[in-house]
Amino acid sequence: MERETILSVRDLDVKFSLRGRKLNALRGVSLDLYKGESLAIVGESGSGKSVFVKTFMGLLDANGWIDGGSITYKGEDLTKYTTEKQWLGIRGKEIAMVLQDPMTSLNPLKTIGAQIIEAIELHQNLHGEAARKEMLSVLTDVGITEPERRAKQYPHEFSGGMRQRVVIAIAVACRPQVLICDEPTTALDVTIQAQILHLIRDLKEKYNLTTVYITHDLGVVANVADRIAVMYAGDIVEIGLCEEVFYEPKHPYTWALLSSLPQLGVKGEPLYSIHGTPPNLFYEVKGDAFAPRNPQALKIDFVKRPPYFDVSPTHKARTWLLDPRAPKIDPPEAVRKLATEGVKGYA
Amino acid sequence: MMNYIAGRRMASIRKRRAGRGFDNSMLKYCVKRLASSLITLLIIITVVFVLLRQMPIEGYFDNFEKADQATINAKLEQLGLNDPIPVQLFNFLKNLLKGDLGMSARYSVGAPISEIIMKKAPVSIKLGVMSMALALLMGIPLGAAMARGKSGFWDRFGTVFIVFINAVPAAVYHIFIQMYGTSFLGISMLYDEANVITWILPVFSMALGNTAYYAMWLRRYMVDEMNKDYVRLARAKGVDSRKIMMKHVFRNAFVPMIQYIPTSLLYTVSGSIYIESLYSIPGMGGLLVDVIGRQDNPMVQAIVILYSCIGIVGLLLGDLLMGLIDPRISFVKKEGAR
Repeated sequence: MERETILSVRDLDVKFSLRGRKLNALRGVSLDLYKGESLAIVGESGSGKSVFVKTFMGLLDANGWIDGGSITYKGEDLTKYTTEKQWLGIRGKEIAMVLQDPMTSLNPLKTIGAQIIEAIELHQNLHGEAARKEMLSVLTDVGITEPERRAKQYPHEFSGGMRQRVVIAIAVACRPQVLICDEPTTALDVTIQAQILHLIRDLKEKYNLTTVYITHDLGVVANVADRIAVMYAGDIVEIGLCEEVFYEPKHPYTWALLSSLPQLGVKGEPLYSIHGTPPNLFYEVKGDAFAPRNPQALKIDFVKRPPYFDVSPTHKARTWLLDPRAPKIDPPEAVRKLATEGVKGYA
Repeated sequence: MMNYIAGRRMASIRKRRAGRGFDNSMLKYCVKRLASSLITLLIIITVVFVLLRQMPIEGYFDNFEKADQATINAKLEQLGLNDPIPVQLFNFLKNLLKGDLGMSARYSVGAPISEIIMKKAPVSIKLGVMSMALALLMGIPLGAAMARGKSGFWDRFGTVFIVFINAVPAAVYHIFIQMYGTSFLGISMLYDEANVITWILPVFSMALGNTAYYAMWLRRYMVDEMNKDYVRLARAKGVDSRKIMMKHVFRNAFVPMIQYIPTSLLYTVSGSIYIESLYSIPGMGGLLVDVIGRQDNPMVQAIVILYSCIGIVGLLLGDLLMGLIDPRISFVKKEGAR
């Protein structure tokens, strides 16, 4: 089970300054990304998943900074990078990104061919006719028919799904090692979502990519991910193989997340929803960040932050429930049902 | 000849294949747009003409007080002013097509108006073109520098400059520029056609307003563009920030600007009243005010129409330019596309 680690994050702290106040966006996140795997980071809005991946590429907004920890990529600590020139060695070349909204992520005044060629010239050192040929082949790879004609069109002449294909083509044209997909299907029609996910999966095989999905849609996760990391309030609270997180979740937040899947609800009964709101990250979070929303929280949850407990060599969770001294608390019924019966369409 | 036509045709086909170019739909749009401009112009001419007919008839005579009734009647008859207004309008339009704007009645008695304008316009056009070029040369780099280093030195400097230009009455700083500028350069206060150095200050003064205007809007449009997702994607794909600024942000921010440039060019070349009188430049600037003061009806009419013409042509050119460079503007009827 030893796998080559391509990217290793340790105790990463990211802070933002907002109107003179400090916001703790990431609170000591650690993660190993293995070569060739497909990892999904799930969590609700504001849990820090986008911020987390942006740090890999030096794309934090101007008011955010890395306050501690390390990001090791191919032996180099990216947190030590200061100049744009250093980052240009990573952006696109090593790590490429697909953004959430294809309607706005293309330059409206350039033909899509030109935008793909821009990436090819930067990262594959091809120019002129060779670059154009490569561009056409990438367009074919992402499933755009009549690439010759389409390449000369502008983004407004494409539908949302087609534009996302183009955005993916741009990312792939960079020939990266790692492809980060930041909610790649959120802005798309449900019928298109599956196609785009299939496409990314195919390209991952073809180009030997390591893929990271950011999403809040567990349906997406089940379809594409080898491993799942669950983020809450700027930290990864549980990480494990896809089946482990779906069938043997250990963290109360993961339980709550799974229980609120509409597919797990019982007809006629109101859908489960998590009460309360995530903690205010302007303040230091004490103990387990999820404790205030967890009706079964232990006393210690409010006092001390839990460490990671290993469930299996691939599965660990940050909850005191895994401490040998903890009382036994069963996961909610819906989660147990998921484990025994499974859900149609999931995993 | 046949070769030429075939060549042109090939070129046009190539262009159309290249996604965009001066193709059929664009031509159709131009013609349509031109026709609507002409109609607008016709309406304006009619309104101006009819309104001017309501002015006292003194405006057609240089010696109305001394003339007796018979002379007045004879003159009115000769000018066709006793005809019904539609007939007069028709005759005016007919002459207009020949480039004949009528005769000046009081300003420069008996001189063809077109000649008076032809004599004055070149001075204004020359200075106007220069000031426009200067304004673009100063305003665009300033706006770009402001957007690039938001709240840096250039942004602060530019903001102060823009606020100053917009808030302080132009008369104030134009006079200061004239006073201190001429003494600094050691030249006379007035414009001298033969001495190029005397052109500098009026051109500079005229450029200030436009410079502030371009800088302000370019900064604003560039900041808008910089916050868009496609810039984020360009960064993520590894384009360096200088290239992003030039190839993505600046270019896209310039599109909304381009629409105003023809209008502002035309207004600039049509002369500035204040600066021309300050430096006593024999240009077009003060002409309208002059002829209104002297109640020269035919000239008021001609110059008002000329200015409307300039406005309409400016809008027309702006729209056409915009259509030419922005692929999102469609020249064909919408077919359900977004």
